[in-house]
Formats: sequence, C-alpha cells, structure tokens
Amino acid sequence: MFPYAIKRILTLFPTLFLASVVVFMFIHLIPGDPAAVMLGDIATPEEIALLSAELGLDKPLPTQFFIWFTNALGGDLGTSIFFQEPVTSVIADGAETSILLAIMTMFWIVVIGIPIGVASASWHGRWVDQLFSGGAMLGASIPTFWLGLYLILVFSVGLGWLPSSGFPSVLEDGGIGNLRYLILPSITLAAPNAALIIRLIRGSMLDVQREDYVRTARAKGLHPAKVAIRHVFRNALIAVAAAFGFTFAVLISEAVVTETVFSLPGIGRLVVQSILRRDYPVIQGVMLAIVALYIIINLLVDLVYAWLDPRVSLK
Amino acid sequence: MTHLTTPTTKRWRFAWLFAVFSLFSTVTWADTTLRYATVGEPPSLDQHVLTSDLATTIAHHMFEGLYTFDSSNSPAPLLATGETISNNGKTIVISLRDDVKFHNGEHMTSADVVASLNRWGEHGARGGLLFSNVESVAASGDYEVTIQLSAPFGPWKNLLAFINGGPAIYPASIMNDAGKEPIPPDHYIGTGPYRFNEWKPNRHVELVRYDNYSSPAGDADGYSGSRVAEFDTIRFMPVPDVGTRVSGLKAGDYDYAESIPGDLFDDLNSDPGVRTILNGGPIFGLVFMNSKEGPLMTNFALRRAIQTATDKVPALQVSIGPDKLWRANGSFMPAGNIWYTESGTDHFSQGDAEAARQMAADAGYDGAPIKFMVSTNYAFHYDQAVVFTRQLAQAGFNIDLQVYDWATLIQKRAQPDQWDLFFTHHGFVPDPILISVMNDNYPGWWTTSEKAELKAKFTASSDPAERIAIWSEIQAAIYHQVPTMKTGDVYTYNIASPDLKGLSEQTLIWPHFWNVSK
Repeated sequence: MFPYAIKRILTLFPTLFLASVVVFMFIHLIPGDPAAVMLGDIATPEEIALLSAELGLDKPLPTQFFIWFTNALGGDLGTSIFFQEPVTSVIADGAETSILLAIMTMFWIVVIGIPIGVASASWHGRWVDQLFSGGAMLGASIPTFWLGLYLILVFSVGLGWLPSSGFPSVLEDGGIGNLRYLILPSITLAAPNAALIIRLIRGSMLDVQREDYVRTARAKGLHPAKVAIRHVFRNALIAVAAAFGFTFAVLISEAVVTETVFSLPGIGRLVVQSILRRDYPVIQGVMLAIVALYIIINLLVDLVYAWLDPRVSLK
Repeated sequence: MTHLTTPTTKRWRFAWLFAVFSLFSTVTWADTTLRYATVGEPPSLDQHVLTSDLATTIAHHMFEGLYTFDSSNSPAPLLATGETISNNGKTIVISLRDDVKFHNGEHMTSADVVASLNRWGEHGARGGLLFSNVESVAASGDYEVTIQLSAPFGPWKNLLAFINGGPAIYPASIMNDAGKEPIPPDHYIGTGPYRFNEWKPNRHVELVRYDNYSSPAGDADGYSGSRVAEFDTIRFMPVPDVGTRVSGLKAGDYDYAESIPGDLFDDLNSDPGVRTILNGGPIFGLVFMNSKEGPLMTNFALRRAIQTATDKVPALQVSIGPDKLWRANGSFMPAGNIWYTESGTDHFSQGDAEAARQMAADAGYDGAPIKFMVSTNYAFHYDQAVVFTRQLAQAGFNIDLQVYDWATLIQKRAQPDQWDLFFTHHGFVPDPILISVMNDNYPGWWTTSEKAELKAKFTASSDPAERIAIWSEIQAAIYHQVPTMKTGDVYTYNIASPDLKGLSEQTLIWPHFWNVSK
C-alpha cells in the first residue's frame, strides 16, 4: 500500500503542471482585464493600459506563465491583484471556512444519512422505508438557496437562535463558538447530499442482503441486528466510500450557492468572485489547490477501499 | 443495576453542555461596533485612482480632502481653512489647518498636500481634468499651498472636494513612491475620524476610531463641519445575496445594509423593524453611442431617431419598480440641484416609433445591425436594455443585443469596432464637468468641435451663473448630437436598524457614520 501511495503522490506533480497550463490558457482566453475592473467605469483605455503595465499584465503570455510557474515551484503563488495579499494566505483563509463547513456537513450526512439509509433498507418496502425514501427525494429536490433562506428566516430572524450569515475565523474572538455560524449552512448543504447517501446506503444494503454469505449468517442463527451491522452494513459501505470522498471534495470546491446565501468566505465564492474580477493569480492558485485536493481525496478513497475490502489490491 | 457517574463522565457532560450552549448562544455585538452589509468588496480603497462608490463609502471615513460638500452640495473647507484667488483667476493660494494629524501620528503639512495633489494629478481618476490646466503646485508655507493654473478653471474647487476618484491627502512618504497602481492596505494612512485596521478577504474591512482625530470646526452640515467618531469599530462585510442582507438586518446581525432592490421597498418601508434611507444623489443609466466607428459614428440624425424611439418610463418601471425610486428626468442633474436644466429634454423620452422610423429612413438607415452591449452584472442595465431593444425593433431598428459580464464589456467597449451602443450608469456628481460624456477619452469618444468650444468656455468661467448657462447649452448639444442617451434617474436605497441614532433621512451621496451612534 505504501509504494502505491508514494507513486500516486508523485503523479500529483505532472498533473498539477498540466492543470496549471490549462487553467492559465483558459482564464486568459476570457475577455476582460483586471486593471479595467479595478479602475472602474470612467477609466480611459490609456489609463487601463498604464495600470496593466504596472501590474505586469502587458508582458507576453508565455513570459507571464513562466514567471508565475517558476515562483509557484518555490511555493509562491503570487499576489492577489485585488487584495494585494499573497495568494497562499487568501486561499488559506478561504480553506478554513470551506474545510470546516465540509466537515460539519459530513457530520450531518453521517449522523442523519447513514441511520436512515440503514433503517430504510432494514424495513424495505414498509411504511418506514416509504417515509424515509420520500424524505430523501424531497431533500434532494429542494434548491439549496431556497432552503438556506428559509432556515435564516426561521432560525435567525424568527427565533434568533443562530446568526444569519458570515463566519468569523475560529482563531478570532469567539473561538470554537464561531462554529455556530456554520450550523445553518451545513444543514443546507447536507440536505441534498444526505439524500444521496441515504439512497446509496439503502440500495447497497439491499444488494448485499441478497449475497450468499448473508444468507449463511442468518442460517447460523445470528441475531438480525448483528447480521445487518457486521455483514450487510460493513460490506455496503464499500460502495459508499467513494461517494463520501467525492462528496467531501465537492463540498469544499463547489458550495458556491450556499456560501453566497450565507456570506461565507469559502473557496467556492472566492473562485467565482475572482473570475468576475479577473484576479488571475487567485484563480490559478485556487484551481491548483482544488486539483490537488481531488487527487489526494481520490488517493484516500482508494486506500480506504483497500482497508474495507481485503480483496482489493493496490499496485 | 446502579448507574455509576464517574468524574470523567461528568466532565464530558459538562463539556457537551458547554459546547451546545456556546453554539446556540445569541450573538451579541457591542453597541460600539457598527456592522455594515455591503454588496461586495471594493477593488481597493485608494481614492486617487478608483471611482468605485463602495470604495468611497468605506474610505471617506479614513481619507479626507482639502474640501468636501455641505448639504447643499456646495464645496466647504475640510483640511483647508480657505483660499485666495488672484484677480486673473490663475493663482489659487490654499491655507491649511495646522492641527491635523495622520493616522501614523505625523502632522499634516503642505509637503503632504503637494505630494498628494501631484500624484492625483498624474495618476488620479479625475486628476487629469484639473491638471491639464495646472502649471505647478508648490508649498508656499508650512500650511499653505499655491496652485498655478495656465488658464482660469471654474470647477477647481468642486474637483478638489469630490473624494471619489479625488485628491485625498496622504503622507508625502507614501505618495513619493505611488504610481497608477492602487496603494496597498498597509499604506492606508489618512486623516479621517476612523483609521484602517484590517482587510480580511471575503470577510470584512475593519476601521477603528482614530483617537487623535482633530475635527473641523462648525456644526455638521452634509459632509462638512464637526465629525465625531462614536463607534469604536466599523465593519464593512460583503453580503452578496440581497435576501441575506435584509434577513441579517432584521435578525440584528447587521446595522446597515446597502443596495436593496425596489420590489422590496414598500414592504420594508412599512416594517417598524427597518428604516429605509434613500440615496439623495441619484444614479442614472446612460446608453453611449460610438463616435469613432460604425453606422452611428457621425450620423447624428440616426442617433436622434434612436432617441425618439425610446420611452424611458416603461424601462424604469420594469427595472426599478416603485415610483418613489425613479424619475423620468431628462436633465443630467436632478431637480433641485443648481445645475438642473430642461434644455433639450423635450427629446428625452418620446417613444414615438413611427416618427423614429421616418427619421431613421431620412438618415439613410438601411437596416444594418446595430450592436448594443449590456452587462448582466447590473440587473437594471439588462432590464432596461431589453425594453429599449423591443422599442427600437418596433421602430424598425435591427438591434443585435450582446450580453456580457462587466469585465468583458469594459474590455470590448475600448475597441471601437466591437460595438455601436453600450449601457452603463453614472453616479451623482456635484459638477457636470465630472460626467463621463465630458471626457473626450471615455469610450464613445465624443470630440466634436461644438463640444470642444462649449467645454472650453465652461471650464474657463469662474462665474457660477455663467457656468450654469453654458451647461444648459452643453446639455442641449448632447440632446442634438446624442453622444449618450440618458435613461432616467434611479434613487437607490439602503436599510438601517432603527437603533441607529444620527442618520439623516437620506444620504448626500455615500452614507457616513461619523456623528452616528446606537
């Protein structure tokens, strides 16, 4: 397993290089100029050209890429044109929000999705299954912006229990208590994703229940709960493990609607704002970070796969 | 069976209870912090080079100029104490206050003012307008600056008083190295009642009270007179979703929220938990016409046909909503302002498709496509452009509506072969010379001899009555040559917590929070 992990990590570098070339080409294909966005409506083309030159954006694209890439090799992803801060610290700030939000969302998915999925499969075809399956479909169908706004109306405006938006860093005043800002957004994000996990767990458990070894376990007189947990659930998890990994990556990189509704300073909103402003260094840095994240999560999923299912060999 | 409760178990229970309590405890903010929900983040807070209204909303608490505006939009001294002007109108001597300290503790002197004016003149967004007539700016004493003009220039004081893209005064040590690129946050050192504390991307820009602030004398009047920082901290937090801005204010998470859409106005106006505040200076939509290339380049008759085809009222109704938030006003300055004039405004909003069709035919229009660029970044731009496209189609125009994001539109409009019309909007300005159509280099490139002659007369005069009369002629020329087509005044509005004390019924141009408390 260890040599396999090393090999996969080594493939990270050429992948990141190719990704950086593609991202660089694409963002420069889009019309628009950060200098023009920055200077505003009344700026003349001459003024925009002057600022572009000061920002180094008038250099040929290959030169700009070479400068950026050689700096990136040394860990310097450049400076945000708009925030005038190192891209690494801009990404780190967004990553804190996104990672904590993803973890809290996964918490809801696991706490709500797995028991309901197991219950749904265990009472397959009964009213419990109908109720939970219907609930899962509803959760998957509700648009996140709608759910988010209604949660704000009920829990922030109506009851005043939780803050409506924003997220002060847990390193600031308030500390771990600032996680309260993520409760409503994480529930909003968990709704559609928990629905997916419920359906996957249910389907996977139903498949496993038909396997011979499950029938054998039951014939041996094992308690039904023991059969469900030890033999059915554990094996059903193998199919769900990949979905967990992918969901986690998606929660970090693509939670832009939820981040916008709740004004969270996460990665998804950062990348969208940066595209609108044409803040090239931030776009490049964030896209590289997202590519790296997907590669690492895929690797972790493969390792977990092998751990859950000894038949899987990693070479 | 006996349940044993060990000390460890008790500790865990306590920890869980504490965690749950801390997560659900109501968020309390000190009354000494003002929380302002903005639509987004400004590109920078450097007032010299940027004209973003959001940047000025934040920055004018930190940076001050030599002059500012009182409630009647007349320039009044701020860092200056007054001025003397030579008989020929070409030498302006400005005396400065001697009690002003920068946020870094240094005293402000004429050296700082000279350095700031020179940087603004060379690189500032609006500096070129004044400095094209400036021969020199020099310190004529520790607290005195002399501006030598090549010719009398009437709007000089309005330009010095307008902080948006205007001459904020920074320390000379910062100005000496500054170019066109906005200065970085660690150089945000001004003289205002609040000083810069931190900018956390996507979280907030935070200002804190400047304890050594020296306020100008006199009663507060508009932006002039006494300034008292009542809050310890002002946080400007980007909240892009309008539903969240409104809900957040109602929930008590924000004290002030900006840019609320018109369709919520009536509900919020009748809500006792919310105070609506109109922005006194209206913004106005402008459809610029290409004077460099294409079918509209010199065909003023065809431009007038386009103007005749459009009815601005339905466009304003569709895009803005409640009557209180818009005026179908053809004057480039709002009613009640000293620059208001009805000259030429008969042509503002005729909506006569048949007359327009005939005028277009007489002007030689052959049905060639007319490229009309608009951005969806501003909803009212797009909504109005759709209405105008429909009206123009009814008058026989072949409009090719091209929809872009704002960054793309800005780049394309700099290329004369890419467009014939584009939609933008303009903020309120205190002097017509600051309206973009008066700038020869602004895309659209209106540079006719008639304009040049009138503009020269307008800037050379220092007599207010004469300047108003000349502006009236310029507006008539705009309606005749149609370098741009005004689409009406839009009064944006903000909402505030009723707990805020000291807020005016409406803002002058940008909201300000000195002399405000809760």
